[in-house]
Amino acid sequence: MKLETDNNREQNPFEFVQREKQLADEKFEGKAIGFFKDAMLRFRKNNASFVAAFFIGLIILMAIIAPLLSSFSYREQHIEWALLPPRVPGIEKIGIWDGTKVMDIKKTSLDEKYKGSIVKVMEEYDMDYRGRKIPMVKAKVDMYELKGAKDTYFWMGTDALGRDQWTRLWKGTRISLLIGFMAVTINVLIGVTYGSISGYYGGTVDMVMQRIIEILSGVPPLVLVILFVMYLGAGILPFILAMIVTGWIGMSRMIRAQFYKYKGQEYVLASRTMGAKDRLLIFRHILPNAIGPIITQATFAVPGAIFIESFLSYLGLGLGAPEPSIGVLLAEGQKVLLEHPHLTLFPAIVISILMLSFNLFGNGLRDAFDPTLRGQE
Amino acid sequence: MLRYISQRLIAMAITLFLIISLLFFLVHSMPGSIVNDPMLPIDIKERIEAKYHLDKPLVVQYVYFLGDFLTFNFGDSIKVQPKVPVFDIIKDKLPITIQLNILALLFTLPIGVICGIMAALKKNTATDHGLNMMVVLFISVPSFVIAALLQYIVAFKWELVPILLSAEQALTWTKFKSMILPILALSFGEIAIVTRYLRAELCETLNSDYMLLARTKGLSQMQATLRHAIRNSFIPLANIFIPMIFSILSGAIVIENIFSVPGLGSLSINAINALDHPLTIAVMFFYSLIALISILVVDLSYGIIDPRIRMGGKK
Amino acid sequence: MTTNNEAILQVNDLHITFNTFSGKVHAVRGVQFDLRKGETLAIVGESGSGKSVTNKAIVGILSKNANIERGNIIYRGADLTQYSERQFTQIRGSKISMIFQDPMSSLNPIMKVGKQIMEALRVRNISKAEARQRAIELMIAVGIPDPEKRFEQYPFQFSGGMRQRIVIAIALACDPEVLICDEPTTALDVTIQAQILDLIKQIQKERDLSVIFITHDLGVVANVADRVAVMYAGKIVEYGTVDEIFYNPKHPYTWSLLVSMPDLDTSSSDELLVIPGTPPNMLYPPKGDAFAPRNRYAMRIDYEEDPPMYRVSDTHYAATWLLHPNAPKVEIPDVLKKRIAQQTERLVR
Repeated sequence: MKLETDNNREQNPFEFVQREKQLADEKFEGKAIGFFKDAMLRFRKNNASFVAAFFIGLIILMAIIAPLLSSFSYREQHIEWALLPPRVPGIEKIGIWDGTKVMDIKKTSLDEKYKGSIVKVMEEYDMDYRGRKIPMVKAKVDMYELKGAKDTYFWMGTDALGRDQWTRLWKGTRISLLIGFMAVTINVLIGVTYGSISGYYGGTVDMVMQRIIEILSGVPPLVLVILFVMYLGAGILPFILAMIVTGWIGMSRMIRAQFYKYKGQEYVLASRTMGAKDRLLIFRHILPNAIGPIITQATFAVPGAIFIESFLSYLGLGLGAPEPSIGVLLAEGQKVLLEHPHLTLFPAIVISILMLSFNLFGNGLRDAFDPTLRGQE
Repeated sequence: MLRYISQRLIAMAITLFLIISLLFFLVHSMPGSIVNDPMLPIDIKERIEAKYHLDKPLVVQYVYFLGDFLTFNFGDSIKVQPKVPVFDIIKDKLPITIQLNILALLFTLPIGVICGIMAALKKNTATDHGLNMMVVLFISVPSFVIAALLQYIVAFKWELVPILLSAEQALTWTKFKSMILPILALSFGEIAIVTRYLRAELCETLNSDYMLLARTKGLSQMQATLRHAIRNSFIPLANIFIPMIFSILSGAIVIENIFSVPGLGSLSINAINALDHPLTIAVMFFYSLIALISILVVDLSYGIIDPRIRMGGKK
Repeated sequence: MTTNNEAILQVNDLHITFNTFSGKVHAVRGVQFDLRKGETLAIVGESGSGKSVTNKAIVGILSKNANIERGNIIYRGADLTQYSERQFTQIRGSKISMIFQDPMSSLNPIMKVGKQIMEALRVRNISKAEARQRAIELMIAVGIPDPEKRFEQYPFQFSGGMRQRIVIAIALACDPEVLICDEPTTALDVTIQAQILDLIKQIQKERDLSVIFITHDLGVVANVADRVAVMYAGKIVEYGTVDEIFYNPKHPYTWSLLVSMPDLDTSSSDELLVIPGTPPNMLYPPKGDAFAPRNRYAMRIDYEEDPPMYRVSDTHYAATWLLHPNAPKVEIPDVLKKRIAQQTERLVR
């Protein structure tokens, strides 16, 4: 409260200044900040989540446009160019991703099979083979030269069928993301509905619905998913359906807890005494409280779904060829991990960054929506 | 307590029936049944149908099926090991899987607990932040990516441990050394989950009123933390224990495959890929059974540890 | 100040701040009081006025982000603010003990209550058998029927009032001489409140305890206290004997508190005054008297300088510029006057 005391110092200090004034609660100063704006403000303070959001955006963008950047399609096979290491124009000059590979070869074949494609001989040695000494060399070989792909560039190399790994990776990312988002969206819808009914009506309805959940959650989720995919056959839709079978349970539990927390509160009771219908109470008064947790939990569920997808692909229950997904690529890469690590490396990096980003993003959202932190700087 | 146990048992029995029914449904809808072969002579077809009770009504078939499952009679494998009873194959593969899972659990729990306690006690310090970073990293990176990384770097490049599981039967040093990487790959994610959960629980308990009361009655911070906070924060750990068993079990399927562990996991992959349906279904049943038994054990011990459940009080 | 009784605990010019993400919160800003042997001192104030923080500092259980900026707490000649954690464990429980507001949460939910009482004795190397014996005696002393059976039970099997009795038993386990009660009845039903108050009073007499009683309920104060300290925004604004505070209050904040308290004689036509406004944000403690913006009698000087403690009588002090010789004479508000008259009348009858 600013008073004119500052400029009137000589006035009697012992003089009532608000004897007749109506004292009231201070007026709320500043503009009211909306729920999402407040969350956004705090979210932006969280650097890790902000970076994570950037990476998610980047990966989504790449999944959309990257396959277009390559001149190869994801199903185009060039058997003669199989298993080429990565080669990127520009970067190849500094010695990495230059399409070369260190190999142990017989000295005699240096001038035959490998003529012209040897970049550098690194070491010469003899190998004992059934008592005979065979002269060997360890040499850096330009695989592109060797396999007659001189002027082509596979940015992430090629797989066993000579398909462009770059295109397949981003195409696979696109499919993995699609499956993840679809599964999570449907799970949220089912979970919110189930949880709301169970939480709002309580009593016998709740009891029965909770027993159903209890029984369902006793089955290992993976077993259910495997059986489902076995029954429906591989494909995007069966994958999504399989993830829905038990995927909604977590969300419904959270929503139910929210309903139990809010439905007994005075403002809900007040609204009910004024004759509000169930629908109004559920959608206007109780559910909006859960919007933060719903968004947060859904964010955490996306990497979960992507994980299950790649897991199933790993099991051989993956999408039918030639459709790639990150899991399919990883499973294929695993078979030749020790000889051709690049086939595992890139999908592994993408899935790790994707899951890391979603988890960090979720952490940021959780803090941003946390009501106990609301309004704090 | 009795009521609690019987409740748990009933729920579990229903779950078991649900699983078996699901399997039954699956078997019956699976395409490519032998009896559908049009080249099969009628009399042989009838004999087969009689043998597998396929001529009886569906309900009777279900009862037979149920009986078969509860007596562990799953029929013979078709493709993976033709004509060998499925049960014998599983019996053969089970020990190594259980060994691996239990070792992973034994490795996960103490480390996760220690990390969780450290993070909570040193909240908002460098230790805490470091552990937090580890948690996010290990929760995010899938176990099979970690497995591939470990295999390539630790086993292939550094040659510290064997790349694949040793074929020795007994648990020797060589064998154990070859089990280190699978165990690590299985554990990292779970350690992170335990750490995160325990940290949150412990932070809350440390701020509770009874911690203050414990200190005002003369316990030192250390004594109060040990006797009250840590003990109490262990109880909700059961909430993540069951999902953890599921997750290690299912993680093992892929990890076993990567490290060529001849266990249930590799078996299920082989069975799925070879379309050996009787085997797949039996393996899935076994997984469910292991899971159910673990849940029961955890639930019951939970009931014993937490007096609020033991005495039938409200939670 | 009468000195017929020695002060066993003195709090001098205590300043406590909390580091928070938003900045430094000045929770306690120069609190000063003493506690004498065998008396009950009530500290009254709104939530957030710093009463609990002051007392947590006495027991040494401030949270980690708290700093004692200035001042000291003298207990039997030793300065508690300089005590290490180890030294504190020596006096906590055995010399100074504390009871908390919510008996639902101040007992460990998964430990038998008997064990929780025994624990206080066991950490002082008392044998198990003796500790058990003492625990049962304590349970009898705090009025728990069938203590042998109750000993083996868990907190969830007790009602709120019974739990608070257990908490009191724990606090008394090692025969402390100072007992701090932090709103011990707030979370209880009204009927149970009276029982617990009676119990505390009875124990205080039996054991000649010195009690600090923190509350925001003036009704409770009138019931238990010998002396009263009124706290506002981290400072004590007035203190005196219970009679002085109730019948001759000097600080406008005390007036407001008294007026806002309904009693049996408050008829619906009477004005039940609320205190306008909200307590100041202690992140930015205001200049001058913190109560000024809510004070109908605020003077120019209230906004410039913090009032000193003015002596009203040997036992009665108040920090308000209204007691300055130059200040205009202000009478107690009429509502309050009427109230006091009624009270006195009732007492006389």
